[in-house]
Amino acid sequence: MKKPVKNWLLASTVATLLAAPTVSTANDDLEKLTQNPANWASWGGDYAGTRYSKLSQINAQNVKNLQPAWSFSTGVLRGHEGGPLVVNGVLYIHTPFPNTVYAIDQKTKAVIWEFTPTMDADVTIPVMCCDTVNRGLAYGDGKIFLQQSDTVLTALDAKTGKRVWSVQNGDPKLGMTNTNAPLVVKDKVITGISGGEFGVRGFLAAYNIRTGQLEWKGYSMGPDKDTLLKPGKSTTWENGKVTPVGADSGTSTWKGDQWKIGGGTTWGWYSYDPKLNLVYYGSGNPSTWNPVQRPGDNKWSMSLWARDADTGEVKWVYQVTPHDEWDYDSINESVLVDQEVNGKMRKTMVHFDRNGFGYTLDRESGELLVAEKFDKAVNWASHVDMKSGRPIVVPEFSPEFHGEDVTTVGICPAALGAKNQQPVSYSPETGLFYISGNHICMNYEPFEVSYTAGQPYVGSTVSMMPPGVDVLTGKKDDSTNLGQFTAFDAKTGKIAWSNKEQFSVWSGSVATAGGVVFYGTLEGYLKAVDAKTGKELYKFKTPSGIIGNVNTWEYEGKQYVGVLSGIGGWAGIGIAAGLDDGTSATNSEGLGAVGAYRSLSSYTKLGGTLTVFALPN
Amino acid sequence: MKMFSTASRLLMTATLALATISVNAQDKFRVCADPLNPPYSTKEQTGYENKIAALFAEQLGQELEYTWLPERIGFIRNTLKAENDNGEGFKCDVVMGVPAGYDLTDTSKPYFHSTYVLLIAKGRGWDDIKDSAQLANLPLERQEKLKIAMFDRGPGTEWLQKSGLLEQGIPYQSMTGDSEHNTAMQIEKDLRAQKIDMVILWGPMAGYVQSQAPKGSYIAIPMQSSPGLKFDFSIAMGLRQGDNKRKQQLNELIDKNLDKIQAIIASYDIAVLPIPADTGKKDDD
Repeated sequence: MKKPVKNWLLASTVATLLAAPTVSTANDDLEKLTQNPANWASWGGDYAGTRYSKLSQINAQNVKNLQPAWSFSTGVLRGHEGGPLVVNGVLYIHTPFPNTVYAIDQKTKAVIWEFTPTMDADVTIPVMCCDTVNRGLAYGDGKIFLQQSDTVLTALDAKTGKRVWSVQNGDPKLGMTNTNAPLVVKDKVITGISGGEFGVRGFLAAYNIRTGQLEWKGYSMGPDKDTLLKPGKSTTWENGKVTPVGADSGTSTWKGDQWKIGGGTTWGWYSYDPKLNLVYYGSGNPSTWNPVQRPGDNKWSMSLWARDADTGEVKWVYQVTPHDEWDYDSINESVLVDQEVNGKMRKTMVHFDRNGFGYTLDRESGELLVAEKFDKAVNWASHVDMKSGRPIVVPEFSPEFHGEDVTTVGICPAALGAKNQQPVSYSPETGLFYISGNHICMNYEPFEVSYTAGQPYVGSTVSMMPPGVDVLTGKKDDSTNLGQFTAFDAKTGKIAWSNKEQFSVWSGSVATAGGVVFYGTLEGYLKAVDAKTGKELYKFKTPSGIIGNVNTWEYEGKQYVGVLSGIGGWAGIGIAAGLDDGTSATNSEGLGAVGAYRSLSSYTKLGGTLTVFALPN
Repeated sequence: MKMFSTASRLLMTATLALATISVNAQDKFRVCADPLNPPYSTKEQTGYENKIAALFAEQLGQELEYTWLPERIGFIRNTLKAENDNGEGFKCDVVMGVPAGYDLTDTSKPYFHSTYVLLIAKGRGWDDIKDSAQLANLPLERQEKLKIAMFDRGPGTEWLQKSGLLEQGIPYQSMTGDSEHNTAMQIEKDLRAQKIDMVILWGPMAGYVQSQAPKGSYIAIPMQSSPGLKFDFSIAMGLRQGDNKRKQQLNELIDKNLDKIQAIIASYDIAVLPIPADTGKKDDD
């Protein structure tokens, strides 16, 4: 029953529209491209992952006049994460499985080329957990890089869509898949791995941009030769100072050989500091899922990393959530900005974690500077102890503390996190970070019979519900919203303002020099809000729910804003996978998300579309 | 062989039905199963769940129809709860083996009850082990030589932890991404290759491993449940929530055929316990 999807190339006469790369290294090329706000050349808009645009044609005064300029159907029904790239005037979009890539001519709105990789749906789809999403493409060296679901990393000629090379990044037989957007750094393309549900041991890998040859690979756990941690050199934050990690820190907090199926997958976003030559990213939850079965801190799952881009050697690592009991993956993006913290200018790295804390670290040394809640509903930990860097866990909300026979009620955030994969944006004008947030809690109900591939065992059921408390104060207000859009000052750890959303905000935002921040909602609205106050200035309902990232660029002197709509992902899987039959109040498929999001199906339906907005002429 | 006669009779039934009137979807016994998941199911229909499905289809005078998909995350959503591509009905109506009270499906009454088994390969220095508690009380130098498989999320791993043996465990994933190898096959291979000497394995899988070697190659010790740690589970058939007519039909077939079902299961070397009266879904909703 193999259903291979055919490789498909279209010859095109407009391919000559594309400019040839003339700069010596891909790094210079890409840096140059990202400095021109007419382009949107990487997932974050720039290497720092700020998702900030210097364009100001669309601004707080005129954004109310915004109109959809054109749209394009991707022909795929599943969840559309990531967003369009725009390089030298050509627009590139991607789809969830089967991972079709389109290059589109903005003048004619015609497809220049399209590429659909050959993948075996029967092998790939059963190992993809929550939805068959893909978070986007990368550009560099005249190539478009696609990280396919089946772990194949493919380089396509940006002009013709012809495959230049491809390499197997993982083994689907071991449960490995890919959903991340790659990142081009110098002469390398960086990618990670998904598959935490299968106990995949996470890694970050760098491939030669011209040949696809593996240059280095650093695992999240294991002996030092696997993790590329240097015992006396690589550091972590401990006892109030930057401290060498010591030998084999990637195995010493695991029992026996458990690190071999340790998880710590790397399916989020990667950023890069060209001056420090460091790549930043986060690792996901530890495996096995049952925390009782893996005593110890389980390093380096749930951690933030800085690796040397040339060698993969770890500069520093910081574990955000030791010994995870809540599924708070730390794969969320790391944004690199220089800020004044406690009266001193710092090269900082800012990370908003699933666990509900916003972290500001010195990105050169790994020193912990700020760790505060960006949603005051968060209750699993009272605070982060700044000296040890560890969260102070509240026993009441620890399933393990309660023991396996007690239901743990009202843990905030839910396993979805106070924020999931949707990247934040940062405006240097306001100094604020804009967080697409979840506002959701969970109950852990133990002693449910679970079942995996023919083996029954006792597991727990997760059900999710709105916290009914205020984001700013944590005080009970009986609210029923599941989402928030929050502006946060990472210098001080203070929330500036926060808007309620009915459902989780699963779309990455973009901040612009026009004083406007754009984001999408699960019901399908593209929204524009004032960057200073959060006041809603514009909204338009796209054809489907938005879990994609809003990007902006310029073409022939005009500023455009574009977003992929197409409901799906974890929050939308109830719809995307047809789970929501409305017959069971306790339906736990989709990992507990279905119940809480049931009413979403009244607002939106499946279907992938790119909608491009502009001001009227 | 009984299976052959069943198959040919099924074929005849189907042919006859076709000759007279086009086969209505309602006239088929439609099952979703993993094409390579011994001892449960295989595409060649050699698993015990295949045999029970064939038995039921025969008694109903229906054609047995399979939809195959590897059993992973999303199996139920992509099979039992997935509509056919033509928009008419679902891909199947029954999944032959799920735990009683499983929350992704409605379940029939349980048709057997099994337990996890400590399975020890003989002749490797562990032939003196008579019960699991003995492992926990071995002298340290013997404990350090243990090569025992442990499963992500399985109760065996929890038992190892409670017995202070977690360091000795060799970890396995309870779910494999490999559509050409299931977990039982992998364990069988690794036991043979002496990568491991013993494993705490769910009854049907332990039965499969034993069936692949000459009789007496293994010591099989059923694990005893305790208040904090459950090893024994009842297995039922899974069906869509709200499909009450089929539930009644399946329950009647299970009642009527309990002896035959038990005989099929027994022929797969599966350790069975009496079905407790109180298993199954609590009828509180």
